Amino acid sequence: MKASYVWIVLAGMAVANYTLRFIPIAMLSRLKLPRPVERWLSFIPVSVMAALLVGEVLRPDGAWLPPLQNPYLFAAIPTALVYRKWRSFLGTTVAGIAFFLVFRTILG
Amino acid sequence: MCGMPTPDLEQSPCPSARSRFFRGVRLGLPIFLGYVPVGAAFGILATTQGFTALQAVLNSATALAGAGQFIGLSLMHAGASALTVLAATSIVNLRYVLFGATLSTHLDRTPLLGQAALAFSLTDETFAVNIDDNRRGMASGLSMAGVGFIAWIGWVTGTALGATASGLIGDPYRFGVAFAMPAMFTALLVAQAEDRKHVVIAAVAAVLAVFFALVLPGKWYIVAASVVAAAVGAAVYE
Repeated sequence: MKASYVWIVLAGMAVANYTLRFIPIAMLSRLKLPRPVERWLSFIPVSVMAALLVGEVLRPDGAWLPPLQNPYLFAAIPTALVYRKWRSFLGTTVAGIAFFLVFRTILG
Repeated sequence: MCGMPTPDLEQSPCPSARSRFFRGVRLGLPIFLGYVPVGAAFGILATTQGFTALQAVLNSATALAGAGQFIGLSLMHAGASALTVLAATSIVNLRYVLFGATLSTHLDRTPLLGQAALAFSLTDETFAVNIDDNRRGMASGLSMAGVGFIAWIGWVTGTALGATASGLIGDPYRFGVAFAMPAMFTALLVAQAEDRKHVVIAAVAAVLAVFFALVLPGKWYIVAASVVAAAVGAAVYE
């Protein structure tokens, strides 16, 4: 790859990504959004979390895994219980990794 | 949010700036764990496809865009024009507009400079952690900066490791860290699904996500499922 081409893309990517992130925050935080829009936005986090988790667990690395041979899916269940019980993100993440290693070994 | 004279905050004195920042760093540690191996994978791939190590690290440090960077890399490798690469990575990252809009409703007391700094580190993962922290009334501009800081360190460190020491690391996934992000999202989802209506909307979003992931390319299922599921929520739970 030509160095000038790479540098142009890298600079453009930095500017484009930053613009996408900053403009909505800067503009919308100064407006009073209508009630229905605020109510809609209030459901965005839980929806995003569910959608992200579905993608990460059912289709890790972009490939669908059969549910019964999916260590991500099996590991997610005790992981959820650990969080419910102890309410620690870091602890849950570490426990989740351990569950995942166990299920990955079991399921081959 | 700290600094506001709300009655429920009066029992607990406002923590210092430093402790708020480090609270964010601690909250962001799972993100760090998840980003290092993915960043390493990016570093390895980038340097094998024609980036110098410096270019790979700078790309990660300035764009902080996981999927966008991988897609940019593969398009560049295929000889796409600079404009095509930029258009594709921007489209992949359009979901940040939705995240930014959601966060903006909680950042109306953060000064513009603070918002500018926070926008830099907005990703799927930092959004998820910050919005959850905000829900319990603990988030502040500084704690979000701490989350963004540790996430950025993880992504850049991982890229640097992959770009310079790929031979030494081998497969970064063999330690089970592939589950760091799913584990964190599992915890965040449990935390968010606090009452019946949120559980219902989470279930709606999950079903929609499977459907949209089957029919839409890339990461569009996240936006599509969230937009529709949240609309269902707003319509049903008036």
